[in-house]
Amino acid sequence: MKRPSQETQVTPLSIKKAAVLGAGVMGAQIAAHLANAGVQVVLFDLASQDGERNRIVNAALAGLKKLKPAPLASPARLSNIDAANYDDDLARLADCELVIEAIAERMDWKHALYDRIAPHLSPTAILASNTSGLSIAALGEALPAALRPRFCGIHFFNPPRHMALVELIPTPATDPATLDGLETWLTTRLGKDVIRALDTPNFVANRVGVFSLLSVMHHAAAFGLGLDTVDALTGTRIGRAGSATCRTLDMVGLDTFAHVVRTMQTTLGDDPWHRHFAVPHWLAALIERGALGHKTQAGLYRKAGKTTEVLDPATLDYRAATGAMADEVAAILAIEPAAERFARLRQSRHPQARFLWAIFRDLFHYCAMHLASIADNARDVDLALRRGFGWREGPFETWQSAGWQDIAEAVAADIAAGEAMSDAPLPAWVRDGRNGVHTPAGSWSPRQGGHVPRPTLPVYRRQLFPDGLLGEALPTPETSGETLFENAGVRLWRLPQRDAGIGILSFKTKQHAIGREVIAGLRTAIAYAEQHLDALVLWHAAPFAVGADLQELAAACAAGDFEQVDAMVRNFQAASLALTYARVPTVAAVQGMALGGGCELAMHATARVLALESYIGLVEAGVGLIPAGGGCTALALRAARLAGHSATPTEVLPFVQDVFMHLATAKVSGSAQEAQALGFAREHDTVVFHAGELLHVALSQARALAEAGHAPPAPPRAIPVAGRNGIAALEMTLVNMRDGAMISAHDERVARALAVALCGGEVDAGSRVDEAWLLGLERRLFVELLKTPETQARIRHLLDTGKPLRN
Amino acid sequence: MNRQIQDAYIVAATRLPVGKKGGIFRSTRPDDLLAHALSAVVAQVPTLDPARIGDVIVGCAMPEAEQGMNVARIGALLAGLPDSVPAYTLNRFCASGLQAVADAARQIQMGLADVMVGAGVESMSVMPHMMGNKLSPNPAIFAHDAHRGIAYGMGLTAEKVAARWQIDRAAQDAFAVASHQKACAATAAGHFAAEISPFTVQQHQPDLASGEVARRERIVATDEGPRADASAERLARLRPVFHATGSVTAGNASQMSDGAAAVLLVSEKVLKEHNLTPLARFVSYAVAGVPPEIMGIGPIAAIPKALQQAGIAQHELDWIELNEAFAAQALAVQRDLDLDPHTINPLGGAIALGHPLGATGAIRTATVVHGLARTSGRYGMVSMCIGTGMGAAGIIERI
Repeated sequence: MKRPSQETQVTPLSIKKAAVLGAGVMGAQIAAHLANAGVQVVLFDLASQDGERNRIVNAALAGLKKLKPAPLASPARLSNIDAANYDDDLARLADCELVIEAIAERMDWKHALYDRIAPHLSPTAILASNTSGLSIAALGEALPAALRPRFCGIHFFNPPRHMALVELIPTPATDPATLDGLETWLTTRLGKDVIRALDTPNFVANRVGVFSLLSVMHHAAAFGLGLDTVDALTGTRIGRAGSATCRTLDMVGLDTFAHVVRTMQTTLGDDPWHRHFAVPHWLAALIERGALGHKTQAGLYRKAGKTTEVLDPATLDYRAATGAMADEVAAILAIEPAAERFARLRQSRHPQARFLWAIFRDLFHYCAMHLASIADNARDVDLALRRGFGWREGPFETWQSAGWQDIAEAVAADIAAGEAMSDAPLPAWVRDGRNGVHTPAGSWSPRQGGHVPRPTLPVYRRQLFPDGLLGEALPTPETSGETLFENAGVRLWRLPQRDAGIGILSFKTKQHAIGREVIAGLRTAIAYAEQHLDALVLWHAAPFAVGADLQELAAACAAGDFEQVDAMVRNFQAASLALTYARVPTVAAVQGMALGGGCELAMHATARVLALESYIGLVEAGVGLIPAGGGCTALALRAARLAGHSATPTEVLPFVQDVFMHLATAKVSGSAQEAQALGFAREHDTVVFHAGELLHVALSQARALAEAGHAPPAPPRAIPVAGRNGIAALEMTLVNMRDGAMISAHDERVARALAVALCGGEVDAGSRVDEAWLLGLERRLFVELLKTPETQARIRHLLDTGKPLRN
Repeated sequence: MNRQIQDAYIVAATRLPVGKKGGIFRSTRPDDLLAHALSAVVAQVPTLDPARIGDVIVGCAMPEAEQGMNVARIGALLAGLPDSVPAYTLNRFCASGLQAVADAARQIQMGLADVMVGAGVESMSVMPHMMGNKLSPNPAIFAHDAHRGIAYGMGLTAEKVAARWQIDRAAQDAFAVASHQKACAATAAGHFAAEISPFTVQQHQPDLASGEVARRERIVATDEGPRADASAERLARLRPVFHATGSVTAGNASQMSDGAAAVLLVSEKVLKEHNLTPLARFVSYAVAGVPPEIMGIGPIAAIPKALQQAGIAQHELDWIELNEAFAAQALAVQRDLDLDPHTINPLGGAIALGHPLGATGAIRTATVVHGLARTSGRYGMVSMCIGTGMGAAGIIERI
């Protein structure tokens, strides 16, 4: 596909206001995500003929608050969406800069709607259809000529906030600059990963993904595998989503799946696999019966009390789901390298192994055959499956990792032997002596007859370390930049070509847990930065940090060495304070989980840059502890600060109450924006929608703070605290929860310690304390809790099982 | 024990409709509600010079913010009572309104006054926090387990009563449904008409389109709480709020509400001077303490005391207004004292009609006074449980 404008400057697209047409599952959720991004949205659907005109949209908006996973980054975002209907409100389209159509998949309905709205659109508005299968060119034919350059397909995946992929599909008339602007905007403002798809039925991800589902069904029947066994085989063990095949179908909705298959049936008559584009008769019968998956509480699975039952396609009845992967097959899947793994899979006569080889073989075959017609290059196919279907690697990557030539010969042999689902021969390029499709120079494009590099839109320069595909050999953070200091826990480095004055501190521990080495490294790094750098950024791939290293704590506990624990906590607190009082600005770049100690470190930085998908919380109560790395102190300071802005500056308690409950219940934010509302981040902290741009923005932020002439804050003094009265008020809630059998005696004890820490100790209300007082308090309470058998049991249980213990 | 110097007679008793928290009275100030109740009760006895009122006593359970500043005096002045008429606010939580009527009666009974007003007011819309704007329990409460019950939310005390008196969920829900059914029937039959003084709500809303203040008036004449669609099936869907495995839900607890009522009492001397027809005689009033963690059984201790003071037997009561703080406690009281269910809350109770805390006692006094008149009953009683563990009961006799 041509990208004529890529080397030129892209005119930035700024969208303040957008309309979404159709308040169905996708439309409402797309509206929600636009609202997350601060876009004002008008959400349209049909007018109700009686009473409440916007009943359909209002019902959809109410539904957004209940959906899981949450489409809204915070409930407050709902106020960015206005309800509207086609009868009364078309004039409201006039100032919408982007209009996304997401109504039912009927060409005639869409055409009729376009006729209706076209006169109301602004002369610069972009119109895009979220169709998942209809021809974009055919859709565009209904539009006035002047609008056609501003029309394209924009295909989101369900759930749109959480699935990164957006397929952008131009028509021959679409203005290239408009597409570039849209791609740039979707990337930075909505945080999406865009691929350009060709205008073929079901585009890229669904074309391959749905084929893969059909082929899994086909081979499951051939090898006589139960649906539960199919899921045991096709989930995370082979790098697919945890919901595997059948659970995914239940989530998607069996009727929706059947609809997509029918689209393939009617529109892909010349596809060599066409005879397989059919819903199995038993699945059709199930749909007929009204069992459509999650939305009807029954589908391929159903819940029977606490047990899960799976459908037996032969009898259309349910039985207990017990299917598992055979040990022999599991052993094969554990083999590295991939080449040997695949070789062993092909040799095995175990039906599960033969099934796995069969689904990979036909997937490879299908992708090779269709690459030229559905996508520009192999990278787009692999990225589409990664980001639209949650696969760990795309089909071409898997093939390449398993040894391109060997696999190609094996596939060809199976085709020749009549074992593959289609006898179409592999395209010639597959066996032209290549070792794969992804190379450092680019990915294979049969259409262009060469390897095409990654797109060079300026927006992609903001992603300093994009997720590379196997074979691309993109630079990784670990091997990039110049190392300034390193120990077992952290690496301090910099990117001289980006900003030589800013240090980047990355944790090296598993899940970025914070242990002795990380704390020591952090303190050294801050000292180094104060001497030699302008600013320090804490950044690494997600998670930001899952918390303090419980192993170290458990070991000290087991040894009964509570003085050592006290010293560990002091060290942690010193690191937190060092982040706050450093002579240079410190910026925490947070993505994914920032729990416990991770949250505390982030809270103490000068500023935070948060990826939208940040899950932040002080969850120590779960292991029977309270935050003691400065977390309680930071929240007590926050309460005093907020009270200071109120009419009664010494009435601190109202600003402690909410955070007390969040901490006592170990609440974790569902987004960056919610973390701000909960008090784990500040209102003026920056939220970044694309996690890949996080480092770029954090470096810019750190540079701006340094340029502004950073002065570390003066330690707060004379901090008013809620004291004894505050503790009593919080205790009142605890007494009711305890005697209402909602919490255990130990929960009450832990929460009371939390109350004491947040209220500044058993002092008179309105007493004034300093930071050291608060830190000492939380530290002593932490150590006291750690001495209790219940807390020790909780820690051991979490380390042993990975699950919290309620005791 | 009947050593009163003289009798106190109720010559007027009226109340406003009860609004739901956040409902019709959400933007109406409680001092305005009170002022209306006071001016309405005085207006019902036009021959009596308001300047003769010895004192206006007003019960209020959360006398702060909009209903702070001695709301009794503010209400009296806004009602247009002469400057010479004093007023004070008292607080006995949910019995405040009844306590105010009783205290007013006692002033007359002891010969200290000839004309008195007892009233009650509460807006839970403007005081959304059940425990006041600034919750600050004494830390000493938590130092001893003996005091733990002081910290209990009212719902948890109801759970304790439900457990100890073995009142199950179905019984509570059935009681709640009956309350709604009785209230709806009574409203439809017009049985509240005699006791209600309609109130005109004045709204001042910003009209964003015109930039003007849009003034609207709405006359409210009926209670907002009763639900014709209440059913056992609907109530069964609600989750217990106060105990993990409990039975007390929002559906079988009293509604949070806004309301006001006032009762005008006079001595026999004034009755004769003005040739007034009394509605009832205020007979007796008693309060009693019980453990705070089961505060809902307070009436079990208070009712026998009030009956004894009145010198009558329980079966002589024709009408009992037993405040339905929670179905659980109301049923426990009914069962423990063996009260005749047919005499209890014939027009429904707080589960349907609402419970504007400090106003309720005065409101239900108006209900009994007019109810006895309509049904020609003789003795009536108002009783309720009180937070932190008390009960109150007041008995009147139709004349």
